[in-house]
Amino acid sequence: MKRVSFNRIFLLLIISLFTFSCSSDLDFNQANNLKLEPVFVANLAYFEIPAHEFVTNGNDQNLTVGSPTVDVFNDAFFKKHLTRAELSFELINTINREYTLDIILQDRNNQPLYKINFNIPAYTGLANPITKTEKFENSKLDLLKRTTKMTFVLRMLPGAALTENSSGNLKLRSDVTAHLIVQ
Amino acid sequence: MKKLILLFVLFVSVKSISQNKQLLYNFTAVPQSLMTNPGSDVKYKFYFGIPLLSGISANVGSSGFSAYDLFANNGIDFNVKLRDVVFSTTRKDRAAINEQIELFSGGFRIKGGQDQYDSYVSFGMYQEFDFLSYMPKDHAILALEGNKGYLGKVFDLGDLNVKAEMLTALHIGYHKNINERLTVGFRGKIYSSIFNASSTKNSGYIYTIPSNVNMYEQVIYSNLQLNTSGIAKYDDQNYDGEVAKDIKSRALFGGNLGLGFDAGLTYYPKKNIQFTASIVDVGFIKHTKEVENLTYKGYYKYEGINPKFNGESSGGNVYQEFKDAIQLDTLNAKYTTWRPAKFNSSIQYSFKEERATDCNCTDYNSETIYKSAVGAQLFVMSTPRIPLIAFTTYYRRKIFNALQMKATYTIDSYSFKNIGLGLSSNFGPVNFYILADNLLEYRDVAKANSLSFQFGLNIIFKDKEASN
Repeated sequence: MKRVSFNRIFLLLIISLFTFSCSSDLDFNQANNLKLEPVFVANLAYFEIPAHEFVTNGNDQNLTVGSPTVDVFNDAFFKKHLTRAELSFELINTINREYTLDIILQDRNNQPLYKINFNIPAYTGLANPITKTEKFENSKLDLLKRTTKMTFVLRMLPGAALTENSSGNLKLRSDVTAHLIVQ
Repeated sequence: MKKLILLFVLFVSVKSISQNKQLLYNFTAVPQSLMTNPGSDVKYKFYFGIPLLSGISANVGSSGFSAYDLFANNGIDFNVKLRDVVFSTTRKDRAAINEQIELFSGGFRIKGGQDQYDSYVSFGMYQEFDFLSYMPKDHAILALEGNKGYLGKVFDLGDLNVKAEMLTALHIGYHKNINERLTVGFRGKIYSSIFNASSTKNSGYIYTIPSNVNMYEQVIYSNLQLNTSGIAKYDDQNYDGEVAKDIKSRALFGGNLGLGFDAGLTYYPKKNIQFTASIVDVGFIKHTKEVENLTYKGYYKYEGINPKFNGESSGGNVYQEFKDAIQLDTLNAKYTTWRPAKFNSSIQYSFKEERATDCNCTDYNSETIYKSAVGAQLFVMSTPRIPLIAFTTYYRRKIFNALQMKATYTIDSYSFKNIGLGLSSNFGPVNFYILADNLLEYRDVAKANSLSFQFGLNIIFKDKEASN
């Protein structure tokens, strides 16, 4: 009798197991909708020029140009997946002279695509950082994706003469915020 | 068809403890229990498994999330569900698949002499597939979110930890009753790897920290390596061989070979108390043929473009510099992989003695003389990180002479509600067994992150006095 009752309970257990077993509705095709939207920040360009570097042989040097190559934006991966970019700049001048800075984006034939302009007032004892953010979207973004070179044109405007002993410096920091969509 | 396979794989899922065969261990009614302890107290005159059907086991699954969490057809965007899964899991969570099919198996008894106890030989060959991947959490966060919201965080590239292997093992084992209380056994194995991919010793980091000189201090240090064997040539477009032929040849010892062993014992301190212990798959495979290693190693500190105004070259090929600093290389260096070693142990108390008073029973095998038993088991398995540990309590009962049952309750670091049930029937010499665990998860298999099953068919011949 005892054995029968154990076996009955056992049988009931097995049956209930299969009766109550079920599965929620799953859809594995959803994996095709995978869409990654990461946002990366990275350094873009920087420089720090002490005042005495604007003096050559005792005279002010009014125009300096630097043209580094930029090989990121036209990379195949970024060309395909970059959907928006912001370039942010911060300039701090502690030299008692006024400057202008033009950053010119150029294509592989050195043709200018886009220009970012800064007017930098002379330092008068108060910190005066200049910040600017340039957004690149849609057709403007295409200009960025064609960029292979950035030319930095720095002009020192007339003012009190600098000497080898002049203090202060002109400092640029900048970054790029890249919005990607990968799907 | 692909969908069906994927469904099968996801449904029949077991979480982290993918190779804990707590139902099979010490379930001596099933000869395959010798594969979890070569010193199991299994008795037979001879047996053989029905080829390809004697032992089929599968367990697949994931800890920390289930198929439902990712693929529920509930109108919520897949990407939202994916984010939820990534952010609710840790780098310790993992997905695991283990599948094993016995190709053939058998065994016979060597009758002991006058003062000698019997000894037994068992042998066979099985095919096994193993996959284990930890959650690459930091990689996933970088891919989903980027680094913008994570200034100051050090992303750990060591989170990438994955291995996959298909192999066959040819084995021969021997177990012997040393005396009426002690049985010891040993099994030697030759592994033949069909393919292997492992990337388990990765390290490195990526961080972005606000800085004074430029906007950020940005550093990548990468020490990533993927070792593969038996895979590379299929990547070659000019490959015109036959995959099936290759697999067959490698399965039959044309592949990368390895050696291993199992050892174990069963001891009865008292007639109704049994202690067992085993160590399984202590072995390695040397990968020397068709080897390809992909490495991604290097250090790069990214500062940005620094235009030179004094006529010097401004450089600025930062992306090229980065690619030069951290290079993707392909090598062909031999490597060795270790099989996941498993340790099992159990203690069992048997009750409801069944033998007749005039029985001249000489052995201690609890299944032949006791109707019921309770016990506890411990399982430990080596992994690329910390070992997996599981603790099981069980109840074993002979329902009829022809039907034995084992019910288990297992706890490990991921689940405290794993209930399993195993049945082994003997109708004449035909032995059929079926074992399944995580039964509570059957309420909704889509939400299960753990299930496993095992079944098989054997022909067992026993001496009459031992089969009672």
